[in-house]
Amino acid sequence: MAFDAEREISRLWGNLHSAQDEIGRTYYRWRQAALKVAGPGFKPLDVSLKAAEVIGTEIGKSFLPRLNWLKGEEVWLMSLANSYAGQWINHGAVVKVEKGSQPFEAFIRWERCPWPTSAKEYGVPMEEDVLCCDKILQTILLDVNVFFNVNYKIETLKAIPRGQGVCLRRLYKA
Amino acid sequence: MAKLLFDWDYSSYPGAKKYPHLFKPIQIGNLIIPNRIKYAATEDNLNTREGFITDADVAYIRQRAKGVVGGICTMQGVYMDRNRQGQGYVGQAAAWDDKFIPGLRRLAEAIHAERAVAGYQLMHCGRVGAVEVQYCQGPSAVPQRLRIFRPVQEMTKQDIKQCVKEHVEAARRGLEAGFDIMEISGIVGYLISNFISSYTNRRTDEYGGDIRGRMRFVVEIIQEVKKLCGKDVPLGIRLCAEELLDDVRGNSPEESMETYKIAEEAGVDYISVTAGWQESIVPVISRDVPMGSWIHLAKRAKEHVKVPIQMAYRLFKPDLPNQAIGDGHLDMWEMCRPMIADPLMPKKVLEGREEDIRHCVACNLCLARLFRDAPMTCYINPVCAHESDPKYADPEPAEEKKKIMIVGGGPAGLECAYVAARRGHEVHLYEKRNELGGTLIEASKAPYGDDELFNCIRYQKTQCEKAGVTFHLGTEVTEEVIKEELPDSVVLATGPIYSKPKGIGLDRANVVNVLDVLSGKAKVGDKVVVWGNRKPGIGVALYLAKQGKKVTIVGKDKSAGFDVNPSFKWRYMIYLRQNGVTAYNDCDIEEIKEGEVMVKTYDGYRIPVKCDSVVMTEREANPGLKEVVQREGIELFVIGDALVPRNLSSAVHDGYRIGIRI
Repeated sequence: MAFDAEREISRLWGNLHSAQDEIGRTYYRWRQAALKVAGPGFKPLDVSLKAAEVIGTEIGKSFLPRLNWLKGEEVWLMSLANSYAGQWINHGAVVKVEKGSQPFEAFIRWERCPWPTSAKEYGVPMEEDVLCCDKILQTILLDVNVFFNVNYKIETLKAIPRGQGVCLRRLYKA
Repeated sequence: MAKLLFDWDYSSYPGAKKYPHLFKPIQIGNLIIPNRIKYAATEDNLNTREGFITDADVAYIRQRAKGVVGGICTMQGVYMDRNRQGQGYVGQAAAWDDKFIPGLRRLAEAIHAERAVAGYQLMHCGRVGAVEVQYCQGPSAVPQRLRIFRPVQEMTKQDIKQCVKEHVEAARRGLEAGFDIMEISGIVGYLISNFISSYTNRRTDEYGGDIRGRMRFVVEIIQEVKKLCGKDVPLGIRLCAEELLDDVRGNSPEESMETYKIAEEAGVDYISVTAGWQESIVPVISRDVPMGSWIHLAKRAKEHVKVPIQMAYRLFKPDLPNQAIGDGHLDMWEMCRPMIADPLMPKKVLEGREEDIRHCVACNLCLARLFRDAPMTCYINPVCAHESDPKYADPEPAEEKKKIMIVGGGPAGLECAYVAARRGHEVHLYEKRNELGGTLIEASKAPYGDDELFNCIRYQKTQCEKAGVTFHLGTEVTEEVIKEELPDSVVLATGPIYSKPKGIGLDRANVVNVLDVLSGKAKVGDKVVVWGNRKPGIGVALYLAKQGKKVTIVGKDKSAGFDVNPSFKWRYMIYLRQNGVTAYNDCDIEEIKEGEVMVKTYDGYRIPVKCDSVVMTEREANPGLKEVVQREGIELFVIGDALVPRNLSSAVHDGYRIGIRI
């Protein structure tokens, strides 16, 4: 059978995009379920932030085996920043990592992100999307900081859901 | 005045002449140990889930006690807390209450019955504990890197005091049970090592800070237990000489040596040297680490402390520890896995019967089983953990003597042959090649220590010769041979056949068999596709990659090395990566063409891979001769890869099981 590379790649590409779209939809379907179970006494933002905390903790644990102190703290930091980026790239985002001008500083730039699109599809306020992302990013650091006995922080400088074109986060040693 | 518990005279034994340093006495505390051999504490998961000693564990330890020929035989470490946070293994022995003393006493008596010195070990498993409860304990709540372990709760000062007390209480129970030597386990990620390491101890109180602060908990335990033991019962400790945790900011080797000095100052009578943690990313004891690699750690320890130094860690052959002791780098030879594989190993060394030793192949299946809550098993020793079952461990002579034809001289056939012959059968082993070993002849040519696998064949061949098995080498068994010989039973141990799916281009000249590649009979190009992602595929892929070839593995299993136990598999994954081997798992080969194969993923995507040669490693059961034997009405057994292609361990275990049953 003749091999048609274009056909194989386009099929694979299509399936990858469908899977990435499903990640966002699945999250927001679960959000709806959680809100129904929680009932009117709970604010949607509180429920979402709790979910973000659980997600952040889980992702943080998955970072631990990948990070290695052997090549020094600067290399370790870039590897941490790249782990952050990789997590969102898997979901379909375009994320770049740059070294900061200060020692032990890195910038993570989301040039495209599928999450605000999914949030919009399910009628979720854009600010909730930003706050949940922040929560996930910060919670990831909790275990990482304790495990490596360091104190790093991450802060949001710009956010796509706020209409600022990119999400820009600064990861730095506090 | 030093005390000698059992008098041993080794002067007439050949092993004592060949290895004089192993069979000379040593004083530890106030106890004289007749030789330099110790079975080190090893978990076996053979006890009840409540921590009571079982018949299986007593029989297991008695065999090892017999093996040390007067040396030290240490029982597995006991956990000491009622809350079971210190328990790291489901079948670990407990000592948190006096109700456990009778069971412990059975172990001490079993060791004494073999005139060996009974060692007892205290082991709180710390961050790798709490196997039956939700949270484990540690000096600080440092998250786990491996998800199989429980989340850590930071110990309060009250918890620490309680833990010291529990060590003392458990030690008292050990003494009441009749043990002669007390040992504290402070290794591989257990609680004491957690306190010592800068990786896991972040405390700012008196139990943390610098190395003296981090040793405070250990010192308190040593001092309190020592008080209880008095002068007559030596107290030892197992401590890491190198944690191998630089990637997570663990202790430096200098700090580790400092812990040795502090432990000595606190009153220990010996130190057992260890290396690495369960969380280390550096290999320590697997087959890819050459034997004797860690002796320098014992030497370093000797330079820092005066108490006797003991060590295990890839000292699998007696010449290594004998030399190290002679050179003053070591005082006692510890063993775990070599005596799991052959409990009588040192006894055979002493008696000058080294050819009768079944050598450990450092596969770490024993560890993989323990971590997965399964009873101890040995890859190479089918009797391990069955010592309490005489029908299995020491089968009776056959009621009816049979003439048995074993077809195939690989590990399955050889194992079956000598076991059956020992039971009184007349055994004829047929091998079409002129040498014994089956596919292991080629498999043992794979890199990273696989040559050690062939020790199995050497052992089995010797046992066959001693049991009177008749070898028919260079003889292919055919229907005519069977009809002519008319045996009472036939055991087919013919090995696998190599899969040859039709119509996809396997008849091309560039398609070769794994055995031909490993034996050097077949040449391959610079770009090679290996078909099959189990152990034979990995072995040949690494063999070729080490020659500088670009190798791609294609296999149906979801991950490469499905048939390799997890405690060793991670090594192969690293080596595949290091050698630039690409693996397409969950895939098959759709077509082999000139200069290319078409790989098809499980869900139908197709990937063309450039290659000059394809190496076939996929195997199938071998039905050859089965019908002939059945037609003749002869009792038939099929074992090893001929039955289902698996690994060396399955071949050996199959062979043994049929050998005792036939």
